[in-house]
Amino acid sequence: MNPLELTLGIMTAVGGFVDISELVFAAKAGSTFGFALVWVFAFSTVGIIVFSEMSGRVAAVAKQPVFSLMRHRLGLKLGLITLIASIISNLITCAAEIGGVALILNYLTGGPYLPMVIAVTVALIASIWVLPFKWVERAYGLLGLFMVVFAVALVANHPQWHQLAGGFVPQVPDGLSTKELLTFGYFAVAIVSAVMFPYEVYFYSSGGIEEGWSPKDILTNRLTSILGMGLGSLLAISILANSAVVFGPANVNPEIPGSAALEAAIPFGKWGLILALLGMFFAVAGAAVETCLANAYSIAQFFGWKWGRHKKPWEAPRFTVTWILLFVAALGIVLTGVDVMTLVEFAVLFSILVLPLTYLPLLLLSGDRAFMGRYINGAITKTLGWFYFCVVTVAAMVALPLYFLTSGGNG
Amino acid sequence: MKPSDPIKLVSQLLDLPIVDSEGAYCGVVDDIELAGRAQQPLEVKALMIGPGAYAGRLPRWAMKIVRITAGDRVVRVPLGKIRTIGAAVQLQVPGTVLGLQRSEDRVERWIPRKGAF
Repeated sequence: MNPLELTLGIMTAVGGFVDISELVFAAKAGSTFGFALVWVFAFSTVGIIVFSEMSGRVAAVAKQPVFSLMRHRLGLKLGLITLIASIISNLITCAAEIGGVALILNYLTGGPYLPMVIAVTVALIASIWVLPFKWVERAYGLLGLFMVVFAVALVANHPQWHQLAGGFVPQVPDGLSTKELLTFGYFAVAIVSAVMFPYEVYFYSSGGIEEGWSPKDILTNRLTSILGMGLGSLLAISILANSAVVFGPANVNPEIPGSAALEAAIPFGKWGLILALLGMFFAVAGAAVETCLANAYSIAQFFGWKWGRHKKPWEAPRFTVTWILLFVAALGIVLTGVDVMTLVEFAVLFSILVLPLTYLPLLLLSGDRAFMGRYINGAITKTLGWFYFCVVTVAAMVALPLYFLTSGGNG
Repeated sequence: MKPSDPIKLVSQLLDLPIVDSEGAYCGVVDDIELAGRAQQPLEVKALMIGPGAYAGRLPRWAMKIVRITAGDRVVRVPLGKIRTIGAAVQLQVPGTVLGLQRSEDRVERWIPRKGAF
């Protein structure tokens, strides 16, 4: 294990953890319910760590991507249903991320939104075309570390630390009306979905194969999952906690993605704002790349095409055409003029519906001795895996009713 | 596992990715050709690869969509061309020899060979 590679991998995971949905829901959750939803972020982070570690281990040991093995395990019919559902979910998420990047660029430069959307998409396509996988992943992940300004801002905003620490204990705030209780439930489900997005697992495991992981990389996989995602989650929790301190008492509802940047502007002025916007820009742009590539990986792996950005674009031709077309499709969705916030809500809703279909085959595969040999799930991973599978299944069942009952969390 | 070992068809072979002798992905086991007579054991003769092989596995309406979007080509890979069966089916020969890379080759012509590190 190369310590430099490991550190870079962990830092990349930290910088790449936050995406547009986490930005939006963390800020809204903090302003509406104070620190009461911090535990949901922490709880979901353990879930994504469990499944990411599992998917990385499957990639390192079976040396086959999760979607190939998923089709083998689920069969053609159920596999196709999972593929189509995940394509729709990832495409909407990718559109939301592209819209989010364009909005942030609009805040940074003052340029008009729609031309920014086109410019962002062209720049993202060019970056994947030009850079090999490791550089694509690292460039966005490491530049996303500007988001650390939110953690520093939290210290400067002087929260009540004991109240924040209390937020890590599972709770439902006292004295909520039925309507508020439903809204709390909707936010909890949305946060679970935003943290455990299926694309993260597809991208992570495919990335492991792109980098040629083998069983000797299992410790690297474990450390990257636990430390990278754990520390990344602290950034998301910082956004929530800042919002609870800054927006909550002022009765401000951070309705637009850019609102979160003000959390750093209040203590640090102009430079805080610029650093926050830059961090958000690279983190969300990285998420756009990940969602698009995750979609292309899924399709190529399902049909057994050549795939991967460790190859030159012309060496995996159908894969290359697929990711370009997926970017164009996501651009098309944004150009219809649909609001970015609406896209974020649809992305979160669709993803939670897909989550059980994504995680069940992964659980079965990583517990299959024929594929995994002695690297099969241990007792703790197995228990946590099945527990989180039950959680996401329940969340998937209540997501739509909660969305309609609360008008998308607006009460 | 070797091709001559007994296998559970559905759980061990169907829908596995296929990797050729050069390490390139070249499809998925979409169907299996069997041979045998009544009261005799069935034998796997070949793997069927390509959208046309979905015919017995998808409803008719879905198959119509597959035909329109992906065609109905099927490539037959004789069992003798298989080296091992594990998390993927490993071929003994390059996929192009068996006609497995035609779609990739067709799309490759449209992609400019510049600008990528």
